[in-house]
Amino acid sequence: MNNKPANMPPERLLDLKDVNVHFELREGIVKAVNGVSYHVNRGEVLGIVGESGSGKSVAVRAIMRLFPKNLHESTGQIRFQPTPGEEVDISSLTGNSRQIRQLRGNRIGMIFQEPMTALSPVHSVGTQITRTILLHRQCSKKEARERAIELLGKVQLPRPELLVDNYPHQLSGGMRQRAMIALALSCDPDLLIADEPTTALDVTTEAQILDLLRGLQDELGMSIIFITHNFGVVADIADRVSVMYLGRVLESGPVDDIFYNPQHPYTRALLQSVPRLGQAPVKRLKTIPGMVPDPFSVPKGCPFHPRCEFAVKGLCDVKDPEMVSFSNEHEARCLRAGKLEEAAQ
Amino acid sequence: MNDSVTMPEMPDDVLISVRGLKKYFPIRKGWRSSHVGDVKAVDDVSFDIRKGETFGLVGESGSGKSTVARLILRAYVLTGGSIRFRMTDGSVAELGELTDKQMRPIRKEMQMIFQDPYSSLDPRMTLLELIGEPLKVNNYGTEEQIKERVAELLKMVGLRPEYILRYPHAFSGGQRQRIGIARALALNPSFIAADEAVSALDVSVAAQNINLLQDLQEKLGLTYMFITHDLSMVEHISDRIGVMYMGRLVELGDTDDIFRTPLHPYTEALLSAVPQPDPRRRKEGKRIILKGEIADAANQPTGCAFHPRCRFAKDCCKTDKPTLKTVNGRQVSCHFAGEIELAGV
Repeated sequence: MNNKPANMPPERLLDLKDVNVHFELREGIVKAVNGVSYHVNRGEVLGIVGESGSGKSVAVRAIMRLFPKNLHESTGQIRFQPTPGEEVDISSLTGNSRQIRQLRGNRIGMIFQEPMTALSPVHSVGTQITRTILLHRQCSKKEARERAIELLGKVQLPRPELLVDNYPHQLSGGMRQRAMIALALSCDPDLLIADEPTTALDVTTEAQILDLLRGLQDELGMSIIFITHNFGVVADIADRVSVMYLGRVLESGPVDDIFYNPQHPYTRALLQSVPRLGQAPVKRLKTIPGMVPDPFSVPKGCPFHPRCEFAVKGLCDVKDPEMVSFSNEHEARCLRAGKLEEAAQ
Repeated sequence: MNDSVTMPEMPDDVLISVRGLKKYFPIRKGWRSSHVGDVKAVDDVSFDIRKGETFGLVGESGSGKSTVARLILRAYVLTGGSIRFRMTDGSVAELGELTDKQMRPIRKEMQMIFQDPYSSLDPRMTLLELIGEPLKVNNYGTEEQIKERVAELLKMVGLRPEYILRYPHAFSGGQRQRIGIARALALNPSFIAADEAVSALDVSVAAQNINLLQDLQEKLGLTYMFITHDLSMVEHISDRIGVMYMGRLVELGDTDDIFRTPLHPYTEALLSAVPQPDPRRRKEGKRIILKGEIADAANQPTGCAFHPRCRFAKDCCKTDKPTLKTVNGRQVSCHFAGEIELAGV
C-alpha cells in the first residue's frame, strides 16, 4: 500500500483510500471517519449501510468537501475520474476552491434525507434548478427553464410545466424528494450521492422513489452511492455494499455475497436482527448485545469486539484486524472472516 | 353523539371495544373562522382488542392510525362512536361519554409509549422524577416507597437502578425509549399503546426493545396496541392487525391470514412495497408499485377512497363506498373482496 498508487483503472469512477475525518469537540477529538476505503465503478450502485454514528454520511460529505467548522483534520486520498484518464484529486481541494465548486452539483449531485430542509423555501423549484444549470452550463435562461421542465417530467412529477413555478412547501414529501432528485440530476452528473433519501418517506412512496432511481440510473448510466440504515432498501438497489461501523468499513462486497454469505460478525448479526416478512415466525429477535459506543470511547482493537459473539480475548481487543479478501472483491475486516461457520459451532 | 342505540355485551376476552369511531377536525376559514369543512381523520372505525394480545395498526402517514390511539386514550374528544374499556375490576367504562375528571382514575390503566425518545422526556427531570411523577400524582406512597418502585421499574426495563438520579441526556435513544416504557409501566396499566415506538431506533437497538416489550407482555399480562408503518415489525409482534387507509379500516384480521392472503388491494400493495433484505427478490421483479399518493384528507375521493390508486378499480368503486364485510373470517372493505386474486408474502 504505497501512498501514490498508479492510475485508476478506466472503469473506476471514484476511489477513497484510507480517508480520515476528525472533528474537534469540547469533549475531545471525534474520529468520525477512521481509515475508510471504498470505490465506485462506472454505472454501479454502491450501498453503504450502517447504524447512526457509523460515519457513513461524513464520509460522503468528505467527497463533496462539505465539512463543518469544527473539522480537526481530514486526510487520505479521494480520487475522482469523470472520464477515463482525467483524474481529479478531490482530497487536495479545499471546501470552496474553484475546482470543487465546478464538480459539486455538476459532475457530482447529491440528494439528502430531508428535502424540506435541503431545498430553499424561498425559491421556486424551477428557479433552483435553472440556477444550477446556468452556473455550470452555457445556455440561455429559456433553455435552462426548458431543461428544468424536462427534468421534472423525468422524475415523473405530474404537470411539470406548472410545477416548475411551485415552491417546496406546496409539494408533498414524495414530490419534494422527486424535485430534489431532478435538481441533483440537472447537469447530468457522473455520480449521484443519495444520503438516506427514502428514510423519511412511507413504504409505498419509498418503493416509488427506489423504482425511479433505478430507472434513471439505467437511462443515464450514472453511478450512485446510496446511504441507508435499512438492509431491505440496500438489497433492492445496490450492486455492491459496504457495511460501516464506528467510522470504519467492516465489510464490503457484491450485494449477494453480503446478504447470503456475510463474513463479518457485525453484518451477520445485523441481518439476523431485522424481522423479515413472510418468514416462519420466530419468538424472539436476535439482538446485538450492548449498544453503539459513543465516539469518544471507541474500543481498542476491533471496534466491534465488545458486542461480538465471536470475539477472542487477547486478540480482538488488542489489534485492529486487517481486511481479509475473498473472491469477487468481497472483503471483511475480521480475524475470523471465512471461519465464522466453524466458530459458530 | 352516540348513534348506536343498544350495545351488545362485550365478550369477556375483549379489553377494548371500538365501534363507529369518528374524529373530524374542522377546517375554518375567513375572519369569522366559519366552519367550511372537515378533515375526516378517523371515519367509522370499529374493532376489538382482546386481553393479552398485540393489536397492530398499520397504514401510511395520514391514514389516521395515531389519531385512533389518541382517541382511545382520550387525548382527543370523540366526534362520534364509542370506546368501551374493561377495567381491571371487570366493570366496563364507556370512555366516549366521560368527562376529563371522570377519566382520571381510568388513565392509570391505559398508557402510551411515544415515538421520539428525545422530545418525550423532560430534560430537566431526573429518572426518579420522570418515572416517579405518575406515582406521585396518584398518591402511590412515601418518597421512599416511590424511590423503591422506580428502582424496581428501571430494573424491569433493563436499566441499572443506580442511574436513578441521572438526566435523560445521559442516555442513548434506545435507553430513553426504555425510560419511556418504565414510566408507562409505573401504575401497572393493563393496556399500552405504542405509537411508532421503535421507528426512530437503530436496527440492533430496535430488536432489543421489541424483545423487552414482548417479555414484559408475558410477565405482566399486558395488552398492546402497536402502531407502526414498519410491516415486518408488525408481522413479528402482532396477533391481529388492522390496515387503515384515509381514516377507515380497509382490512382487519389475524396477522398471518392478512400477510399470507391479503383480501384488499391496498394491503397487497403495502406488503409488496416493503423493502426486503433479499437481493434475489428484486430480480423476480414482482413488486407492485402504487401510483400517486394518499389523497387529501379534506377532500376525499368519492366511493372507495382507494379507487384512484387501485389497479382493480371498476366504475362502482368510484361511486359506492364499500363497507366492512366478513370474508373468510376476516373483515374487508372492498367491493371485490375474495373475487380478485392478490399476492401475499
